[in-house]
Amino acid sequence: MPWQNKGGWQPGGGNRGPWGRGPSGGGGGGGGMQPPNLEDLLRKGQDRFKGMMPVGNWGGRGLLLIGLVMLAVWLGSGFYRVQPDEQGVVLRFGKWVETTQPGLRYHFPSPIESVVRPSVTRVNRVDIGFRSLGDGPRGSQIRDVTEESIMLTGDENIVDIDMSVLWVIKDAGKYLFSIQQAEATVKAVAESALREQVGRSRLVPVLTEGRQLLESSTQRLMQEILDFYNAGVLVRQVTLQKIDPPAQVIDSFRDVQAARADAERQKNEAESYQNDIIPRARGESERLRQEAEAYKQEVVARSQGEAQRFISIHNEFLRAKDVTRQRIYLETMEEILRNMNKLIIDAKGVQPFLPLQDLIRRPGDRQ
Amino acid sequence: MNRAVLTLAGIVLAALGVVGASTLFTVAEGRQALVLQLGEPVRVISEPGLRVKLPFVQNVVMMDKRILSFDAPKEELIAADQKRLVVDAFARFRIVDPLKFYQTVGNETVARSRLAAVINSGLRRILGQAPFAAILSGDRANLMRQISDLVNEEAKDLGIEVVDVRIKRADLPDANSQAIYRRMQADRDREAKEIRATGAEESQRIRSRAERERTVLLAEAQREAQVLRGQGDATAIAIFAEAFGKDIEFFSFYRSMLAYRETMSDKNTTMVLTPDSEFFRFFESLSGKGSVTKR
Repeated sequence: MPWQNKGGWQPGGGNRGPWGRGPSGGGGGGGGMQPPNLEDLLRKGQDRFKGMMPVGNWGGRGLLLIGLVMLAVWLGSGFYRVQPDEQGVVLRFGKWVETTQPGLRYHFPSPIESVVRPSVTRVNRVDIGFRSLGDGPRGSQIRDVTEESIMLTGDENIVDIDMSVLWVIKDAGKYLFSIQQAEATVKAVAESALREQVGRSRLVPVLTEGRQLLESSTQRLMQEILDFYNAGVLVRQVTLQKIDPPAQVIDSFRDVQAARADAERQKNEAESYQNDIIPRARGESERLRQEAEAYKQEVVARSQGEAQRFISIHNEFLRAKDVTRQRIYLETMEEILRNMNKLIIDAKGVQPFLPLQDLIRRPGDRQ
Repeated sequence: MNRAVLTLAGIVLAALGVVGASTLFTVAEGRQALVLQLGEPVRVISEPGLRVKLPFVQNVVMMDKRILSFDAPKEELIAADQKRLVVDAFARFRIVDPLKFYQTVGNETVARSRLAAVINSGLRRILGQAPFAAILSGDRANLMRQISDLVNEEAKDLGIEVVDVRIKRADLPDANSQAIYRRMQADRDREAKEIRATGAEESQRIRSRAERERTVLLAEAQREAQVLRGQGDATAIAIFAEAFGKDIEFFSFYRSMLAYRETMSDKNTTMVLTPDSEFFRFFESLSGKGSVTKR
């Protein structure tokens, strides 16, 4: 417990009286034995004083002086300091009479009054589902406690949750005097509250967007229970460190994530395919259209040209029909035959030269 | 004389001290006390502070007044629908009647073992009547209250008030957990398959739509193209017809000449001619009449 090393007060003290002696033992058997013992002691003490102080007259004053010094020391033992993070709880004969704030204070010395100084500002932390093993070379080392972290959800699935609870002492008196094992209680309550809330939820919301809701509802329930116990504890914060599917099935859950990514990827690929072919098709159709348009204009223009050419020639032809006809014919033949391989055969003598193929094969030689 | 007085004073002081130690006692905050006279309970002190009792004949039993912790051991029990579950519960209790507490159980250790039995039977009775799903979820708070009430009823006889019984954990036994893991796995696998298939579906839809759109786009373009070409051809035909129609005979002559030029200008063409063709008519006669008449 946080205040254990500081105060002298012992919570498990049992049947212990203010004089540091069990009252039942003191009551029963003390009667017959003690008087001779005391007398003995006194006599011995007197003897010793006499030995120390040779002059008999000084005996009374010396005793007084020693008594005064002891009284002063005893009274002085009532000073105590309350640290800035503490509250002082003053007990008079065990009864809680005062709560003091930080500073130098005084209480009646023991055994009349005593003081307990719990740290009220220190934030305590309880971990559920894991234990921090302190800071190692790579961050803080964590040991998983599956017994605490594995729990059932409302739809009978299993989830693995790690939680941290930060709490402070809200009321030192209540914290000290109205509950036993406050820290263990906070832990048990935390576990119980978390499981109750998880038991009310379904797996998928818990894993996804339910974190905050779960945190706040757990905190609320914890505070309710602790207030019901009058524990004097304030739950500052509930943090869910980890909400995972159990290790045994985590691969399947990851696969679902992967499947989502796959589906998204497939869709994206399809869209990129679409974005690829549609503009191309539009371009292609534009090309077809333009080609057709070009063809159309070409054909029209060519026909117009040809027609015009024909008309022009025809007009001239009308003026000198025969000559023009002859001339055109001869010019055409001339041009054609100039470039061409020619084989002139008198029709009556064709027979001996057949097959013609041979003649045609090497036209250059025969020319 | 002086010495005798001192001795007497010492004896008196010592006696006072002894009597005082046996008479005065404190009850600390968070505790309560039961005063026994020769073993007979006579008084309960629940307020803290300095108290007085008869020396020697009375003694004091201290008890806790705080809320005490109790952790029940894990129990495997069966819910109303025959499902097994492991329940880990804890309780918080308080000694409210020190006299009865002292008389029935005496001390905390005994009280705890009695309480364990009471809580255990309470858990079994209440949870045995509830279906598993209720224990697990919605009804848990209510069930816990019922258990508290039931346990409280019995604990009253021990001078104890059970403030609260809470189920810390309610889990399935290991074998059942394995079954749940398998089911979860199957669920996820199904989900993953479905997601992938849906992805494929979506992908196919997009692709085929895109392809359809492409086909339609191209077909429409083809249609327009053909229409345009047709229009061009028609216009050309009309133009030609109008021009060439003026003199069909000349047109066929002229066009033939053009065609010859176009088609026969190639060097690889070999033409077999007979000397009596029109072109060679001056070969045989100067007048140019010979071959024509022959043909």
